[in-house]
Amino acid sequence: MKRFIITITTLLVLFCLSTTSSARVYLDITSPGLRAIPIAVYDLLGSPAGKEIRNIIARDLKFSGVFLPVDKEAYIETPLPVFDPSNWTALGVELVVKGSVTKEGDEIVVVVYLFDVIEARKILQKKYRAKEKFLIPLSHTISNDIYLKITGKESMFKTKIAFIGEEKSQRTIYIMDWDGKRLMSTGINAPLIMSLHWSKDASRLLYSSVRGLQWGIYLADFRKKKETLIYRSTATNIAGDFLPDGNSFLFSSSRKGSPDLYIYHLNSKRIERITWKRGIEISPVISPDGKRIAFVSDHSGTPQIYIMGLDGRGLRRISFSSGYCTSPSWSPAGDSIAYSGMVGGKHQIFVVDLESGDYIQLTDQGNNEEPSFSPDGRFITFTSDREGYKRIYIMRANGEAQQPVSPKKMRAFGPKWSPK
Amino acid sequence: MKRLLFLIVSGLIVLSCTPRTVTTPQPATMPSEKKATTEGMEKKQPIEKGTTEIGGEEVAKIETAEIQEPTAAELSAKEREEILKDIHFDFDKYNIRDQDKPILRKIADWLLSRKDVKLVIEGHCDERGTNEYNLGLGDKRATATKDYLVSLGVPENRLQTVSYGEERPLCTEHTESCWQQNRRAHFVVIEGGR
Repeated sequence: MKRFIITITTLLVLFCLSTTSSARVYLDITSPGLRAIPIAVYDLLGSPAGKEIRNIIARDLKFSGVFLPVDKEAYIETPLPVFDPSNWTALGVELVVKGSVTKEGDEIVVVVYLFDVIEARKILQKKYRAKEKFLIPLSHTISNDIYLKITGKESMFKTKIAFIGEEKSQRTIYIMDWDGKRLMSTGINAPLIMSLHWSKDASRLLYSSVRGLQWGIYLADFRKKKETLIYRSTATNIAGDFLPDGNSFLFSSSRKGSPDLYIYHLNSKRIERITWKRGIEISPVISPDGKRIAFVSDHSGTPQIYIMGLDGRGLRRISFSSGYCTSPSWSPAGDSIAYSGMVGGKHQIFVVDLESGDYIQLTDQGNNEEPSFSPDGRFITFTSDREGYKRIYIMRANGEAQQPVSPKKMRAFGPKWSPK
Repeated sequence: MKRLLFLIVSGLIVLSCTPRTVTTPQPATMPSEKKATTEGMEKKQPIEKGTTEIGGEEVAKIETAEIQEPTAAELSAKEREEILKDIHFDFDKYNIRDQDKPILRKIADWLLSRKDVKLVIEGHCDERGTNEYNLGLGDKRATATKDYLVSLGVPENRLQTVSYGEERPLCTEHTESCWQQNRRAHFVVIEGGR
């Protein structure tokens, strides 16, 4: 029995007219021969906003690769919430979305229905209320509910991407919706900022910045609206992933002479060393189960990706695609790692399967670096200079549908997909 | 003025085999300034006419002139050119190249003769690597440079390092000659130096 977890905030209040009773998963999105499901999405009745909401939903569903929104011209049924499967079977449409939107003061109230053509019944009926200015996140929430109903899994439609933008040698941390909409500056800026890392609940962001000739690790807390210096020294201190407990994080530091890996415990301020090597050990990321780390080391003579237990056991190299492999990102399922590997003098995004060791190259235009998985594992954000300047891109985890999402002309890099 | 410092520097290089203390008489016109300061000039204080004594055996008589707002980091261009030259590295490497060792020897000698000077060694990389890894590489380059200077007798506490990775390129073209210029250790005076 799958349950909807409904977050009630002052910004966006959702409530169900009737909770769905079925936990049936309609579609296995991990199946290799996945065929996109034809879906009809009507403009919501009652307000011009209905068309806007419909377009966001259709775009979300299409980008997911799981759904194929069918052209509105083909719809013969009334937009009212009545449903006759025989209107759709000939078109091959399997799902139909209808609904309405009404304004109540500065709020909008949206009602959405999802009909299943094959089962010939309504499978979702839900009501949403939010301030009108939150039309976009409200629409993504609807998309997510449809996606969840059909696949049994949370989508990434409500997630965000944090990245670093550079203008006039000043860097700023920005956060935008995964599709590039609703770009927001965090107000955190400095001449040099690197290496962003989200906390698991997406309320905090860890990063490194040079201030007064010292590399410091800083923590931005979006709930407290506060930036705190966690650790700094005259060594090179570069933030790594948070550990799943949220109270400690990995980092690379040359505090003992050479860049090695450490764990910083936020509560006790204790620093625990986890590598003792002479070369460069950097870019530590944690496996989803919190038991292993992946990182970059040059101890073979060139930078390569290694994994090992947090206790240092079971060290093994996992990148064999080229002589320069960096920037690991662990897939949320834990079974593969994306990284950037140099091919013919250019960096490209690769994904390696940890069990078989098989790897695939996902990009081939310009330099493509700094991959970061979406929390559902089906997408990757990365930096590409294919247009002549660094910009944030997204793609499906198989390399399809590559597209820029950060603002045109802005030098942007270091993207990290939010965990929720 | 540039000539002047050059003279001082030349004098120092001559004397550099045995480290000397540089003493500079405080100008009489600035009695309120900290007179007790031992080495070097106070910051932002114009140099008046006078002589500078260097060590005990040899005295360099030097005509001085007004310096507008001198700062600790403002070495003359000549001195920079002569001594604080960048050293360079091969792609993805951090070992000191043989051809750069004489440059470090000169820097070490100068530092040994100028005990007031503290340096920051910046480690830089070209754009071909990836940004975060290059911070590690820049760190190794700066540290290798520092270690080499320490091996020549420079006290460690006068050398600080900072890695800028590929984030502060000297040259922004996408050519090998440009990349070579960017793969460097760069020296910046953060204390003393006049």
